[in-house]
Amino acid sequence: MDWQAFIDEPAVIAAAVLALGFVVGYLVGRLNKELLTAAGVAEAVEGTPFERTAQSLGTSTVELVARLSSWFIYGIAILTALHIAQLLNTDDFWLRITGFVPRLFVAVLVLIVGFIIADKLELVVSEYFRGVKLPEVAIIPKVVKYSVLYVAVVIALAQVNVDVLALLILLTVYAAGIVIVGTFAFKDFLVSSAVGIYLLLNQPYGIGDRIRIGEQAGIVQEVDIFVTKIEADDEEFIIPNRKVFDEGICRVREQ
Amino acid sequence: MVLDDVFGDIFSSVDAVALFSPSGSYYERFADLDELDVVVVGTENTVGAETFIELPLEFGDVAERIRFGLEGGLEKGVIEDGDVLACATSVFGDGIDTVSRVRADGEIRTGLYDLFAKSRPEPEVIKAVLELAIELGKKGQKGKPVGALFVVGDAGKVMNKSRPLSYNPFEKSHVHVGDPIVNVMLKEFSRLDGAFVISDSGKIVSAYRYLEPSAEGVDIPKGLGARHMAGGAISRDTNAISIVLSESDGLVRAFKAGEIILEVDPEAY
Repeated sequence: MDWQAFIDEPAVIAAAVLALGFVVGYLVGRLNKELLTAAGVAEAVEGTPFERTAQSLGTSTVELVARLSSWFIYGIAILTALHIAQLLNTDDFWLRITGFVPRLFVAVLVLIVGFIIADKLELVVSEYFRGVKLPEVAIIPKVVKYSVLYVAVVIALAQVNVDVLALLILLTVYAAGIVIVGTFAFKDFLVSSAVGIYLLLNQPYGIGDRIRIGEQAGIVQEVDIFVTKIEADDEEFIIPNRKVFDEGICRVREQ
Repeated sequence: MVLDDVFGDIFSSVDAVALFSPSGSYYERFADLDELDVVVVGTENTVGAETFIELPLEFGDVAERIRFGLEGGLEKGVIEDGDVLACATSVFGDGIDTVSRVRADGEIRTGLYDLFAKSRPEPEVIKAVLELAIELGKKGQKGKPVGALFVVGDAGKVMNKSRPLSYNPFEKSHVHVGDPIVNVMLKEFSRLDGAFVISDSGKIVSAYRYLEPSAEGVDIPKGLGARHMAGGAISRDTNAISIVLSESDGLVRAFKAGEIILEVDPEAY
């Protein structure tokens, strides 16, 4: 048996592919870990429950994601090797597997990222609301967290070909509800902020000017995006900018 | 324990313990101290303490730091007139290394706490301007000492009691004190005379303002110049507070209602 024939042997090629796959998989895992660390992912996920669970299991989020990419490549290598060695000689099976593995990989990745984003958002939102000393407000971070998780789960399930139509309908209803309620509740804020932007850019009146808006007259003390504060002798009016446009501005000239 | 016998006087029979900027682990040690109230004083409530008094500055002078803390405590009703406190603070290093026994005396109120907590402008704004003045006093303009006058709060009224000396560089701009670039801008503009006017929320309304308050009844120490007189008078005439950096002696002074409330040496920070 000469050298050339030995190399052409399917088992040898399969072994080579397998070895190459393991090396590449390991290197990609390492590279991913370095990249994720350099990108500051480790600090970004710090303090989230997901990271804490990972820590208690003796690993970390960065390591998990890096290892996931390694496993993905190991899996491909093993399957390719099996195919070359013709140990599993069913093309149908092969096709299905090659179609499915990347999807599974993406699904797991989406779940991990979804969990982290949900946890992180929960932290950020609860931090934002910490100044508000109202116990009921504690529900908002939870709602945000589970909304993000829900979306992540729907995406992940769709990746692995589970029928998610019903879940999608639920999501649409939920999102539409939020949008409708939001626009209704924040309509005045939207109008006021649009006017506020105009007031800040064009400054028809500035701090120190004496103006009258509708019934209220006084010296402008503050203009921000939502309200204008004007002060009379012993009264201070906080006027929504929306009203400034409705009523018009009257600048009072000094005598 | 001989030392306890000697130093025990300092913390025996105190009504409360005041910890100045304690670390988390240091604060934990006091958590199961039942018979005493623990008050945390600092620039930030990093330990999540229940009774917390915010310091506007990391006062370099320990006496000042403690005085401010006590005044804040009295004002908030956390401690009462006549209470004796063991104040643990740091003098040399980062950690707490000193305990001093202080009696909270309602009589000596200087209005220092009121300056921040009960003034018209927001406390963060006063704090930012004060820090700015201190930094300006420390570095000066190109090594030379500079003077500056900041009028904070009640900007509408201040604008009506002053006139421009030159074009207002902050016209149609929306910068606030504490924005990163602002310190450099203010440093540049402090070269020209005139006051900076800053609104309640910290917006810089104008520079180069010539203040025209009525100076009646303003009593400032002799020897201070026109800048201090203007600053004191405007704080009496309006609800603004003024923060003045003296060109001659380099001190930063804060005026409220025409009186000097705070006097700090930038070099000490």
